[in-house]
Amino acid sequence: MKRMCAAAVLCALLCGCAAAPAGEEGGQKRYEASFLTLFDTVTTMVGYADSEEAFTAQAQQIHDELLEYHQLYDIYNDYDGMNNLKTVNDNAGIAPVEVDARILDMLEFSRDLYEETGGRVNVAMGGVLSLWHDAREAGIEDPAHADLPDQDALEEAARHADWSNVVMDEEAGTVYLADPDLSLDVGAIAKGYAVERVCETAPAGMLISVGGNVRATGPKPDGSPWVVGIENPDGGDFLHTLYVEDSSVVTSGDYQRYYLVDGQRYHHIIDPDTLYPATRWRSVSILCEDSGIADGLSTALFTLSQEDGQKLLDAFDAEALWMTQDGELLYSPGFKAAVRT
Amino acid sequence: MASSPILRFRPADALVILCILLLAGASLAPFLRNAAVEPATVEVWQNGVLTRQVPAMSQVTFEISGTYTNTVTVDYGKVAVTHSDCPTQDCVHTGWISYTGQTIVCLPNGVEVRLTGGGAEPEIDGVSR
Repeated sequence: MKRMCAAAVLCALLCGCAAAPAGEEGGQKRYEASFLTLFDTVTTMVGYADSEEAFTAQAQQIHDELLEYHQLYDIYNDYDGMNNLKTVNDNAGIAPVEVDARILDMLEFSRDLYEETGGRVNVAMGGVLSLWHDAREAGIEDPAHADLPDQDALEEAARHADWSNVVMDEEAGTVYLADPDLSLDVGAIAKGYAVERVCETAPAGMLISVGGNVRATGPKPDGSPWVVGIENPDGGDFLHTLYVEDSSVVTSGDYQRYYLVDGQRYHHIIDPDTLYPATRWRSVSILCEDSGIADGLSTALFTLSQEDGQKLLDAFDAEALWMTQDGELLYSPGFKAAVRT
Repeated sequence: MASSPILRFRPADALVILCILLLAGASLAPFLRNAAVEPATVEVWQNGVLTRQVPAMSQVTFEISGTYTNTVTVDYGKVAVTHSDCPTQDCVHTGWISYTGQTIVCLPNGVEVRLTGGGAEPEIDGVSR
């Protein structure tokens, strides 16, 4: 009789092995989509849906919304029938430009962030950033003749970055740059801000990444969190992997968008005090709910001491991971609660 | 010498043995399936089209042509773009990837190299960089 029981138990175990196929949760299958068309970087979306068609429709909808933000915040290209930030810049000192509410809202967000970060994130510093942008593009194209921007030109451009000359008229729906030499460059926050706005209406339970600005719209359908790796500036294994359910992870590092001059690396995050790439950290990762704030804070903290950065984190209820030039990792008090490995 | 009644073979024993063998086989099945039927794969996507699939557990080097040329090296579960003539070199700087779900992107060449785990859930859902 005991043997019959043993046989029955083993049979039951055997049936238990017939689990649902991997990649399926509650009948929904996992799908991924990626696009190389947005914000000059790669966009990936992961989610669970009943069919490939259903997921593709969701991903396409999100893509199309992000594409509108991409075009509105573009400072390099014109689009038919659209006034974007390039139109605003082109009309500096000339005339107010009627713009979409998504430009006005983003600029107000940027102005608030400028004030709250003590000027560490300044999208009105477009003149300085464009000198670095042009030098970087030329240096990448022709490494043998890579050169730094002219110091006098940098200092002159920095004199034209005053928010009082960014005139926003809510009622008329216009933006006017009263200083003809001021230009806007929202690269420090545009991706994160756009992702946050799009995620307000995106389906729950997705993970959206625009160039490494990662935002989760809730856990996976089975309730488990997403796993997000933080890239190591030196390549190879991740610095950490994090559990993320309904928040954002954004990293700023010296290993993205850089060029070499005489063997020295010059990256794209410019310290508003020195007008040169910030050298304090290798990378700073921010963990907080709002992707736009996370994007802005990662830029701000990249130019600040840990102590000053922590004050900002406290003000925004955010957490951070810093990597020093020596490769040492520093953590804000609550960061490790999200660490998986 | 008379055999002990405890050791005598009964029909239920056959059922127990059969079940043990089946259970052993079943617990191995996922690994066998992953290894033989749905191997971890290196996928190459170019301008949104899947252009090549290579078993991740192999040792191979190949080139992706286009506006630029990327040299991809697969080395038993890890993958890197080991050479590229693209201007930014972001793909080369990404280095080796080894987690399913990780990707290497060469924007100038419209290329994405993905490490997938067949039908299995990837270890990494996204990467912050």
